[in-house]
This record gives sequence, C-alpha cells and structure tokens, in this order.
Amino acid sequence: MTRPAPALAPAATSGPSVTDRLGYSAYFLVALLLAIIFLMPIVWSFANSFKPAAEALANPVALFSKAFSLENYRRLENVGAGWYVYAANSVAIALGTVLLTILISVPAGYGFSKFRFPGQSLIFMVVMATMMIPFQSILTPLFLVLKILGLQNSLFGLVLVYTTFQLPFSIFMMRNAFDAVPGALIEAARIDGASQWTLVRRIMLPLALPGAATVAMFAFLNAWNEFLAALIFLSDQTKFTLPIMLVNVSSGIYGIIDWGALQAGITLTMVPCILLFLLLQRYYVRGLTAGAVK
Amino acid sequence: MARLQLKNVVKSYGIHEAVRGVSLDIDDKEFVVFVGPSGCGKSTTLRMIAGLEHISGGEILIGDRVVNRLGPGQRDIAMVFQNYALYPHMTVAENIAFCLEQQRLPKPEIAARIAAAAETLHITELLERRPAQLSGGQRQRVAMGRAIVRNPKVFLFDEPLSNLDAKLRVKMRTEIKRLHKLLPTTTVYVTHDQVEAMTMADRVVVMNRGIVEQMGEPQQLYLAPASKFVAGFIGSPSMNFLPARLVAEGDALHILLDDGTRLAVPAARAATLGRHAGTAVTFGIRPESIGPRQDRPGWAPLDAAIDLVEPLGATTMIYFNTGSSSLCASLNSEGAPKAGMTMPLSINMTQMHLFDPQTERSLTA
Repeated sequence: MTRPAPALAPAATSGPSVTDRLGYSAYFLVALLLAIIFLMPIVWSFANSFKPAAEALANPVALFSKAFSLENYRRLENVGAGWYVYAANSVAIALGTVLLTILISVPAGYGFSKFRFPGQSLIFMVVMATMMIPFQSILTPLFLVLKILGLQNSLFGLVLVYTTFQLPFSIFMMRNAFDAVPGALIEAARIDGASQWTLVRRIMLPLALPGAATVAMFAFLNAWNEFLAALIFLSDQTKFTLPIMLVNVSSGIYGIIDWGALQAGITLTMVPCILLFLLLQRYYVRGLTAGAVK
Repeated sequence: MARLQLKNVVKSYGIHEAVRGVSLDIDDKEFVVFVGPSGCGKSTTLRMIAGLEHISGGEILIGDRVVNRLGPGQRDIAMVFQNYALYPHMTVAENIAFCLEQQRLPKPEIAARIAAAAETLHITELLERRPAQLSGGQRQRVAMGRAIVRNPKVFLFDEPLSNLDAKLRVKMRTEIKRLHKLLPTTTVYVTHDQVEAMTMADRVVVMNRGIVEQMGEPQQLYLAPASKFVAGFIGSPSMNFLPARLVAEGDALHILLDDGTRLAVPAARAATLGRHAGTAVTFGIRPESIGPRQDRPGWAPLDAAIDLVEPLGATTMIYFNTGSSSLCASLNSEGAPKAGMTMPLSINMTQMHLFDPQTERSLTA
C-alpha cells in the first residue's frame, strides 16, 4: 500500500518571513508609542507658546490653533527684568560651570589615571564620596561660606557651587576616559620625543574628547536647569536665571497662571538643551561607554 | 648608527629581580635578537634600553653616552610595538610626521622624509588613511615607517610580528630583514619565537629567568649550545634529553642509557670527555641526528618500537620510548615507518651533547 505524497509546502517567498515582519511591526509600534509619550510634553509646550495669549489661557489642552502669534514671547519681556536678562544669566552661569568643570576635571582625571602618588586611592575615594551628600542638606553652610567670601548674590559664586557639585562625576568620567587610552600610545609618544604638554595636547586630549564632551554636556544641563541653589543664593532680580523666571511667570497676578507666557519660557529654556544634546550625542554615547569594553 | 652596550644591567621590582645582571656588547649595524620564554626578562631589558623602565642597577650606553638618566625621547631610538601603538586619531602621514615635528624640523624636510619612508615601505597610497582603515600588515609597515623616518641610532622591536597570522609573519620577517640590509642600523629585536630569532639575527641572545644563557650566531647556538636550556629552546622540534652515565671501557667511552643501551662515543670526542667518565650526565641528541640504520663510523645503533608517527610532508616525525624517556626523530618521509613497527635506527654520535645534570651546563660545548 502506498501513501499519497504530501502536498508541497507553499514556495518560500523571498525576503523576511511573516513572523519577522510581525515582530518588526510590533517593535515599531511600541517604539512609536514610547516616542509619543516622551515627545508629547515638548510638542505641547512648543505649540502652546505660539498661540495667542487668550487662547492659550482659555484652552491650554488643545494642541493646535489656527492663529499663530508671538504674543506670549512679547509678554515674557515684561516679566521682571525681561527674559533676555535671565537667559543671559543662565548662559553665563552654564558656560562658566562648563569651563571651570573642564579646566579642573581634565587635569584631575589625567592625574588619577596616569600618575601614581601616595594616597591616590584615598583621595579619589573622598572625591567620589562627596557625591553621596545631598545638595539640600548643606545649603545653609554653603550660604554662610559664600557670604563670608562675599560671593553671595553673585553669578560667579553660583558657578563655584555648581562646579563643586559637578566635579566628582566629572573627575570619575575623565579618569575613565584617560584609562581607556592604551599605555603603548603614551610610550610611543615619549619615544617620539613628545613633552608632557605635547603628549596631553596632541595624544591624550583628542582621544579623551568623548569623555570631555560628556562632562561638558552634563555640566551645562545641570547648571542650566538648577533651581534651588539659584533661588536661595541669588536675591537680585537682575541676577535670576531662567528656571526662577519660569516660577515667577507661573505664579502671576492674582494666582492666575499665564499658560502662554509659561510655555514660551519653557520653550526658550528647552531649546539650547535639545540643540546641545543633538550636537554632542555622538560623543556622549562613546564617552559613557569608554573603558567599558576593550 | 651606534654601538649599544649593557653593563651588568639589573631591574628589580621590590624583591623580585626581573633582570639579573645582563651585560651585552652590540656592534654598530648589528641585528641582535633577544629570545626566551615569557617572563625571561627580554622585554624588560628592551624597555630599559628604550628608557620606558628605570634601570635599577648597571649602565646602558648608546654610542659613547651613558643613557641611564635620559628620557626615551632623548636617547635617539625608535621602537616598534607589539600592538603597533599608532595614534588612532591621526592619518598615517601625521603618525609618521609626529616624531619629526617634535624635533622641530622644517615642513619641507618633514614632507620629503615622509615621502622617502613611504616609498621604502610601499605605503605611499596609505598616507591619508587612518590606522583603523588599515590591515594588520599595513599597520605593521606604518609602525616601521614611523621608526625609520627619524634615522635613529638604535631600532627596537618588541615582538612586532606576534599579532599577525602565520603567513604574513613569514613575509614581514623577510621584509624587516631586507629593510635592515637597506638601512643598516643597530637593531634589537625581541621575540619568543626561536624561528624568528634564528632566521633574522646576526647574533641571538637567549635569555632565561633574567639572565643571558648564551649569546652567539644562530648556527653556533644550534651546534654548540652552552646549556641544556639553550639546547632545548633553539631548534625545532626540540632536542631529546635522556638521563645517562658516561662509562669508560679501556680507552673507549660509552653512554649508558637507563634501559641498558650502550652508545659508543666517537674517539674524536672521547679525548675531551674522559675526565667525566663514571659520572651521571644528561645525554642530548637532536631529532635530526637520528636516522635509519647505517654502518658508518660515529653512528651508534638503536632499535625503536615506534609509538606515534607525524608526517610533515618532506620529513616525518617518529616518537618512540627508550627506558623511561620518550624520543623524537626526524626522518625523510620516504621509507618512514608506521606506528607499531620496530625500526632499526642509528644515532649520529658526533652530534651528541652532554650536560651536567646539576648545573645543566654543557660538557661538550
């Protein structure tokens, strides 16, 4: 007795199989959903900032409006000393923090990575341990220290405070970045006759650049967004930063929140951060993973 | 161009002495290879010559100048590293130019020298690429370009071929040798591969546990090793060593193996060995010195029950036991036996070596 030959399976189509395509679509949908959840607040703030002020106040939930207006931005000029004063203060503080953090953490990281000296691990541990101290818990002593130094209510004083709190992470980052530079490269440069300064400038720094970019970005974002210390250490209205301005806008006259002006302020505050991140993200990813894999 | 001298050079890390009193005199334009197992101190010695390690004791002279306290950049040396150590963010041309820029040479001269070095090493078309875009062999060449462009007094090579595959290694080996003919410069080359040492060196320095076991021309090390270590390290496959006694019978001397086999020592060699008669010795014989049975003076007969056969093409390795020891012989593949057979062999006793079992120094060299 013979059995009938089994029917031929349908000819395999070229390209990815059905399950592959389903998997890819599911992945795409989930990613899209997550992107929407994360992007929504940004888009919403952005959209609201360009509505006429009355409409933004009356109907803040609606995403789009037929009328396009810069009224909200104009109203920001009347908040306190004007938004551009606060923006300038924020830029000065953020750039100052970035500069000072880089100036200190790059040599410190280099030292911890490439030199051996007595008490090295102890000093490094102590520097790292300061990361464990909650910022809020030492506000009062900080206030007193700044007052004694005559740096209270001064942008430079605030830069010093921000830099101090930025340093442990930054030094750690830079040490890892320099650790990732192979010892043989340093030896080759020394044989080539490079001085210590040339070695750092021409070999070490270019190779540790992703680390430095990451450090710079974190310093900028933290200084840019910081609110509590700025609120406490600054008392002059002309010295306030953008986050303080935002609070002043939101707690407007008679407790009514001026949604339009607030969203305009938020948009202004966000844009530099987003631009910076997009500009440096290539370095940022490399910097964070430096030394993770050989 | 310069003579390189090491005078009783010592390197210690705490109580551990990695290099224990190395003295060498390397002539101008000589190609010297340091060879030895890992941890023997060869790389440490090289790094002390380069100035990358401090010298714990002794003196190093390049030319007539003691360089102990000079930094690597002031010693006028060039080094090729095991992993090439090319600067990844610079192009090949920038890599090669870097050392010349440190000497503050004028730009046209730098360009001319890069062009000449690139021409010599056939890397002209690679000058604008970055190291990541190069193959292993090309990186190797760039590393050599970086070394030759500065006309150093001494070239140092630290296992430069160990990251290449076997075929490329042989090719680069001949290229380095050719380069040395073209640009004769005092060269120290470190390797753990005795074939590299034998093929490239004018003189080979065999190191072991921080001391120089022997220094000499490759053929001299092969024919007259000064110690059991050198005898076992130089030559592939390795020399056979058997515990034995040297016994005198009248005027004649015999090697008595532990299974009772007696091998007659040729009269020419017996004269110098007579004073060791009656003592225990280590008998050393190279696989190449064992052949099929022949009735010639100087050859001693030995019957072998073949254990294992390894055909290598032109030659065949056979393994067999004598008493408690295993021996290896290298035979012409024509007429090579099969495993399990018993084969009459002869040992060329004019090529035998004897070592003191305690000191392991040669009694015959």
